[in-house]
Amino acid sequence: MRRIEQGVTRPEPITVEIDGASVMVHPGETVAVAVLASASRRFRDDRSGAPRGMFCNMGTCSECSVWAALGTSPWRRVRGCLVLAEPTLRISTRDPESRP
Amino acid sequence: MTVFDIAIVGGGPAGLAAAERTLAAGLSTCIIDEQQRAGGQILRQPPAAFSVPGWLTGAPYRKGRALLAKLSDDAKLHWLGGQSVLGITPDPAAGAGFTLALSGTMGGVSEVQAKRVLVAGGCYDMPVALPGWTLPGVMSAGAVQTLVKAQQVLPGQRVVLFGTHPLMIVLAQQVIEAGGQVEAVCFAQSFAQMAKAALAYLPRAIATPAPLIAAAGGMAALRRAGVKVRYGAPVLRCEGEGLGGVDQVVIAGPNGEEALACDLAAMCYGFLPQADLVRQAGAGVRWSNPAGGWEAVHDDAMRSTVPGLYVAGETTGVAGSDAAMAEGAIAGLAIAQDAGALTEREAAAAMRGPRSTRKAMQGFIDLLRAVADPRPWLPAASAETLLCRCEDIPAGAVDKAIADALCVGPSFGASAIKLRCRAGMGLCQGRSCEHALIRRIAAARGCGEGEVEGFRPRFPARALAIADLLEDAE
Repeated sequence: MRRIEQGVTRPEPITVEIDGASVMVHPGETVAVAVLASASRRFRDDRSGAPRGMFCNMGTCSECSVWAALGTSPWRRVRGCLVLAEPTLRISTRDPESRP
Repeated sequence: MTVFDIAIVGGGPAGLAAAERTLAAGLSTCIIDEQQRAGGQILRQPPAAFSVPGWLTGAPYRKGRALLAKLSDDAKLHWLGGQSVLGITPDPAAGAGFTLALSGTMGGVSEVQAKRVLVAGGCYDMPVALPGWTLPGVMSAGAVQTLVKAQQVLPGQRVVLFGTHPLMIVLAQQVIEAGGQVEAVCFAQSFAQMAKAALAYLPRAIATPAPLIAAAGGMAALRRAGVKVRYGAPVLRCEGEGLGGVDQVVIAGPNGEEALACDLAAMCYGFLPQADLVRQAGAGVRWSNPAGGWEAVHDDAMRSTVPGLYVAGETTGVAGSDAAMAEGAIAGLAIAQDAGALTEREAAAAMRGPRSTRKAMQGFIDLLRAVADPRPWLPAASAETLLCRCEDIPAGAVDKAIADALCVGPSFGASAIKLRCRAGMGLCQGRSCEHALIRRIAAARGCGEGEVEGFRPRFPARALAIADLLEDAE
């Protein structure tokens, strides 16, 4: 993923946590863009273990679903294309409760 | 609880045009939309914190942008962004026509009551199953377009667009303007086939020449940019080495198979109406041609078959944003009339303009539908290709379920196949695979798609945590 620089002014970046790593995003960007910005197109693995990416970016297909938690609130599964990145946001592309 | 005179589901061109009319008639109006900001997919806005002075300056967006600007400044409009509608329930006891259950995109459940409801849910790209389509980096054209328009990012640098729909021409231009490289635009159909389909409708389409001129301008811009637009180039499969996602698209070229290297492949075979809430509310729908899906049926003032429930825009059949705005205006006027805010005569007089606009567009709409018709060109899924992306159900399992169901009797629908193999049971609730199941069932039964019963849409229309509902009940 590449941000369009020409003709676009963005607010100062913040960092969110994706699978434990810090990723820089701009306020207003979605969780889906945050995942793409992490230099990975993988949003989850399917039952066969194959990586899967986002598909529709309009809240319809649910392929961008990831786990997200704001601050200390519990994890919930969200459609990444509809949720905005925030400073205390943690994102996980694997079920955080089933991790070893 | 406030009871709105009208709740509008969907803040795109149709919903905004309806709100313009209901607000002018003095009706209390709310719009509910999953996006934070108004505009729908066609006018998907950058985040409010961004500054993008050159956002969608092209002529085709002018009318919609003017409407969006007007409604955004209207303090009387009650905007409920970032909210999904889970269900629309008739609720005459509460003094309201309907109760709408909502959930926030990050959780939390609430309710809105309204005397009348308009569903202007828009449409979505038809998800077309072909080998390799679940690789990361294979997306719908609409996904790429909305990432560019709203989030101002390009999800890949070397892009192949494929399908049957001329929207690819517009998207290719937007990718180039965003600094991306369009490796190829692959129309499955031949140029002669497209031209033949276009010519049959041209005499009527010329009534609204603007979109034809925009299309010709788009083609010229791609030629200048040196983009290869290929015709008769159907895509067979998407491929990717290792775990990195798509790295090439394989087409059937004139001299056999040909691989086109890319890091982003966007499919564009047409659009399906968003009609799940309409279906859930029990209103009439019919199979939508040519791309498929279910479109809401309505009278000449956009009233659905359920009293108090109205429909407008792509939910009633995919026809573009200008048609959606006209239909939204008609719906808004009908709502004002039915609420007693306009007399029948006033409403009829005000409907004359949008009705004639809508009618004049039909020639171009028919032309576009004929040119873009995906049905002869839908790629073949292999037995291993996943038809249901949520539950990972391959085409082979769906076809076996259909063969088994056929042994029992010929009158089964999509739900019978869902019960046999779980296709359609996942997070998207069948929005991705229902049309594919219906096409396969219709072929097996030897009937039309419209004769196959679809999934039964139920509450909640979007997936949500059961804890949210329990919390709401406390």
